[in-house]
Amino acid sequence: MRRWNAEREALAQRIAAGSAFARGKIVAAADAGALIEAVIRPFDRVCLEGDNQKQADLLARALAGVDPAKIHDLHMVQSGVVLPEHLDVFETGVAKKLDYAYSGPQAGRIAKMLFGGKIELGAVHTYLELFARYFIDLTPNVALIAAVSADRDGNLYTGPNTEDTPTVVEATAFKSGVVVAQVNEVVEKLPRVDIPGDRVHFVVEAKKPFYVEPLFTRDPGAITETQILTAMLAIKGIYEPYGVKRLNHGIGFNTAAIELLLPTFAERLGLKGKICTRFALNPHPTLIPAIESGWVEQIHCFGSEVGMDDYIEARPDIFFTGPDGSLRSNRAFCQTAGLYACDMFIGATLQIDLSGNSSTITASRIAGFGGAPNMGSDARGRRHPAEPWLKAGREADPDGLPALRRGRKLVVQIGETFGEGNAPTFVESLDALILAEKLGLELAPVMIYADDITHIVTEEGIANLLLCRDKDEREQAVRGVAGYTEVGRGRDAKMVQRLRERGIIKRPEDLGINVLDVDRSLLAARSIKDLARWSGGLYRPPSKFRNW
Amino acid sequence: MSALLNEHPADVSWYEASARARIAGLLDPHSFAEFIGPAARESSPHLDIFDLPKQFDDGLVAGRGTLAGEPVLIAAQEGRFMGGAFGEVHGAKLTGLLRAAHASGGRINTVLIAFDTGGVRLQEANAGELAIAEIMRAMLEFRAGGGKVIGLIGGRAGCYGGGGLISGCCSGLAVSEEGRISVSGPEVIETNKGVEEFDSKDRALVWRTMGGKHRRLIGVAQQFADDTVASFRAAALSLVAKAPLFNLAAMDKEQARLERRLQRFGACKDATEIWAALGANDPKAIPEMNADDFIALADQIAENSDDAR
Repeated sequence: MRRWNAEREALAQRIAAGSAFARGKIVAAADAGALIEAVIRPFDRVCLEGDNQKQADLLARALAGVDPAKIHDLHMVQSGVVLPEHLDVFETGVAKKLDYAYSGPQAGRIAKMLFGGKIELGAVHTYLELFARYFIDLTPNVALIAAVSADRDGNLYTGPNTEDTPTVVEATAFKSGVVVAQVNEVVEKLPRVDIPGDRVHFVVEAKKPFYVEPLFTRDPGAITETQILTAMLAIKGIYEPYGVKRLNHGIGFNTAAIELLLPTFAERLGLKGKICTRFALNPHPTLIPAIESGWVEQIHCFGSEVGMDDYIEARPDIFFTGPDGSLRSNRAFCQTAGLYACDMFIGATLQIDLSGNSSTITASRIAGFGGAPNMGSDARGRRHPAEPWLKAGREADPDGLPALRRGRKLVVQIGETFGEGNAPTFVESLDALILAEKLGLELAPVMIYADDITHIVTEEGIANLLLCRDKDEREQAVRGVAGYTEVGRGRDAKMVQRLRERGIIKRPEDLGINVLDVDRSLLAARSIKDLARWSGGLYRPPSKFRNW
Repeated sequence: MSALLNEHPADVSWYEASARARIAGLLDPHSFAEFIGPAARESSPHLDIFDLPKQFDDGLVAGRGTLAGEPVLIAAQEGRFMGGAFGEVHGAKLTGLLRAAHASGGRINTVLIAFDTGGVRLQEANAGELAIAEIMRAMLEFRAGGGKVIGLIGGRAGCYGGGGLISGCCSGLAVSEEGRISVSGPEVIETNKGVEEFDSKDRALVWRTMGGKHRRLIGVAQQFADDTVASFRAAALSLVAKAPLFNLAAMDKEQARLERRLQRFGACKDATEIWAALGANDPKAIPEMNADDFIALADQIAENSDDAR
């Protein structure tokens, strides 16, 4: 006779073992390692909450310190590989296999460990994709999560950086997994309940705040005139003609420049209310001047940003906030919003090839995907119309029957022809292919596929790939905005000229932009201090961004 | 379209402005005439060896003009070219400017220097170090003859290394909040003494240790400027009016002041303790204070400089 409750029984055993270290649900920080050894079994699937920003740092240290003779061969299923401890567990043999989405700060080390065979790689995912697999074939046996505070019943307040926590807990707790939360403090009454206590089995009181990475702050002082030029081109050549109201901005100086040009350059073009009213976006400090100038109606956030809490609390008409006043972010919902309810994604990349595939992978760094492939892709399941989406669809397929023609999401890659360290952004062949060969991967890690990208913006101009009718046109359109890179110098000048006549390539002068007018004084804020001033002192920048 | 074209040169942010824009806004309109300008193409003879780009003015703009009608000589470092670092040509132009002032036989009484420098250019270090010494000698000769040298500091690169030494020889300094004055930079201190000694990434710490407000409060700078070219012009005019004499008696006084400073503040662990000892009621609030409030506070509590400066 088959038993139908084996997982429930195992859960009861695990909770009983863990309870030896707990009073009720509460566990002292010093006992975190013993608790983990009690509730985790070898070969378990474990989600050690590493989000894009929020890190369960105390539990990460505790897991890295367990006895590999007792706990070994774990299968880590977490979105962010961010802390050194996230990889230390593979050095010691505590963990063996990894499925993840993003590894920004550990991109160099993770590449070395993959090449060295220390990590058995499942796959690199997008956030949504990994979250989806939590419910199908990567369901965690144990989740080690982070929250701001808990009460004695295990109810959790996750604060502005809620991020992945509800998704992780949903998948773990409702499939007989163990949920262990580290919290900054245990309190009598929570400001609000983000995770109900019956989904949380143990609470470890860390007594100090979990680590949050300030990922989304770009110092306006570091924005170059070239980046401002690309931003002006994007506003005049894409935002304005398509009338893009609902969008997502990737992180980078070019998009920061766009945000800071809204109250100045774009305002003078009369675009207020016509573009950039609704965002799926982390609370970028560089968006403060546009918000304060009345440009933005609504923002839903993946996570939060260090220093923005008080500002967000004071602007509940713009942000999603709880009854306590603080931001409620949610990565899974915001990714879904970016995928289905936004008409444009714009972001930077490291490499673009001749067909328009782009990648942030270099031979020595594997940064993962994060959310960009979802933001930067056409949602084939989308059914609601919107003018930018319909217009892009018309441009891609002018002869199609309108009532049966799909729209297209605008997917824009923006950047300078030469990136950091003067490395060319345009290449004949992506480094991602070399990496795939070296690691024996079936798929090269491509951030945005050529059939999803619609526009490329560089300081040389805009290439509209929707209007290209064949492979050659597409290649020349890419080359035609690639500047003095090898790819750019390899262009067929006559064909590029014809593409320009057809409006497939647009130069700054074609858009009425005089490059001599490009100046930092166009930015609504030119320093972090300016941003703090715009916010009326509500934005409190972290020390690393100050120059006062 | 361009906001810059609409903006009056004097309203431009000093921090953002190029060396030439700073000069244009500091001096009386259209009074500036450049010496050995870019057309002369006196570039660095050394940078080619390192395959580094050169600049036709070697990052130093020098010339003459008038300040409120008075003839002055002026130099401005371009912080965006090699961090405003002193190379052979860069240094020689400043030395020559100071010697020209000294040789003017009293026709020129004031030299303005807009510092924006990380110090000596490593690729031409010997020439750069010699230039620092020559500049200080030329400056002191000019001052000993009754001349005034006013330093203005508020650029991205701050005023570090040899630039910090030269600034210490000026008759007076004006600094903005963004400006930093020191010899060793934050990264250098951290590299040599460890992150426990000085965390160069803690920028609030860097600014309260080397930044404009602290330098004003301990009397290194005598004027505080808001971050506009106009504010620096006003500060320069005020410094010219009250620049002290340069003689042995003044040096003795300055020495005594520095000894007193060491006694008063030698045991302080953080600039906020110094500010408290100076009499600031709420030292922690000083970094957030706006320019007007800060100037009022500094005028009340700042360490007085003696006549050496």
